Amino acid sequence: MAQYFDGKLVFEYLPELLSRIHITLLLVFTATVFGMIFGSVLALIRIHKILILNQLVAIYISFVRGTPIIVQMFIVYYGFPAILMNLGIDINRWDKLIFVIITYGLNTSAFMSEIIRSAITSVSIGQSEASYSVGLTKIQTFYRIIGPQALKTALPSISTTIVGLLQDSAIAFSLGIVDVMGEVQVLGARTYHTIEGYVAAGIIFFVLGAIVEKVSGCIEKNTLFSKL
Amino acid sequence: MGNQFDINFMVTIALKAAIRYVPITLELALIPFVIGTILGTIIALVRLYNIKYISKILQVIVVIIKGVPVVLQLLIVYFAVLQCFDSVAKTLHLSIRAKNINSVYIGLVALSFFATAYISEAIRGALTAVKKGQYEAGYSVGLTKVQTLRQIILPQAIPVAMPMLCSNLIGLIKGSSLVFMISVTDLLNGALITANSNYKFLEAYVAAAIVYWILCIVIEKISYVLERKFYSFNGR
Repeated sequence: MAQYFDGKLVFEYLPELLSRIHITLLLVFTATVFGMIFGSVLALIRIHKILILNQLVAIYISFVRGTPIIVQMFIVYYGFPAILMNLGIDINRWDKLIFVIITYGLNTSAFMSEIIRSAITSVSIGQSEASYSVGLTKIQTFYRIIGPQALKTALPSISTTIVGLLQDSAIAFSLGIVDVMGEVQVLGARTYHTIEGYVAAGIIFFVLGAIVEKVSGCIEKNTLFSKL
Repeated sequence: MGNQFDINFMVTIALKAAIRYVPITLELALIPFVIGTILGTIIALVRLYNIKYISKILQVIVVIIKGVPVVLQLLIVYFAVLQCFDSVAKTLHLSIRAKNINSVYIGLVALSFFATAYISEAIRGALTAVKKGQYEAGYSVGLTKVQTLRQIILPQAIPVAMPMLCSNLIGLIKGSSLVFMISVTDLLNGALITANSNYKFLEAYVAAAIVYWILCIVIEKISYVLERKFYSFNGR
């Protein structure tokens, strides 16, 4: 036990951890897509102030923002099968990854809906009035006038949310998912060198986050948006 | 299966246990918040005035801490203390050993790193949001750097920083739930302990969620009131 921290081990661990990176990426990607779609629906409900649904969505968003994701994850993990059991559907044998994806998707959708809502309401009302006055329909107004402007203001926040999601995904291992973090546990149990594994995982998360930020920066500078 | 949701158990046992450990969670959130605000302000000022070398070094540290998930920071600090503390203590002839350290302190240290990085960014953003002309105007009427900062810049920067500080505090409360991984009995763990004997984990998690939710709503409300106060103070 003379060696407390073996720098070489960090680089030996990196390839092994990278072999599980697809789980982390799958988690982040599916949660982002789900969050975007479901978040847009939630945002629309809040913008149009649909009765009752509007209040329910507000409570849902407040709950997701006010509780740790680890608690949400276990509530979904224990709660979903219990609810569906009452409806006669047995999902106890489902892969744990599905529950994790559901949790992160629901979590992201709450944050996304707030971003989308504030982006859409930030476009001044004169813009839609102007496009109605030249004879565009409601849908045309949204796709040609409001949408592109809203997307431009939303993009930086969306990339921040995705980076946050990526960092949150590091907690999924506590449910027994063998992603990058889960692999650290496996390696740690085998070799008793856990801390090197965590450092290697830290490097991976850092680089992934930097890539997401770079890509979104490139999209922001894209000619399509910079013309607006 | 008969695993009906046991509301009675949740309210009378799990919720009570969760509430009993609220002080630990608040301690784990507020102490890093205060440390983070102090250190974060210093880092923000160093970066604002672009002090040679130190500013660059601090920037790198902040970027690294912001890029690594807080769970990893917590576990790295925990294992680093567990493995290295004994030999350090031996060379310093201290009688304390790693196994005697309360894990709460390890959690506090890790969360303080996290808080410092995020709060320094929030404060730096607020300081740079004040127009450059304000600094120049302060200097032109003969105020020193400190006076300008205290009398002109900070009163304008604080209302801008308030919402971000509030969301950082909420992030800390949520982040403090992770200390269950290093076996600290906080709000979440306190609720879970009650479920150990009868496997009513769902009830325990729901109870913990309710307490966290209430805590966050209270903080949001307080920050809203403070924000209004600062804005009216500024005469806007």
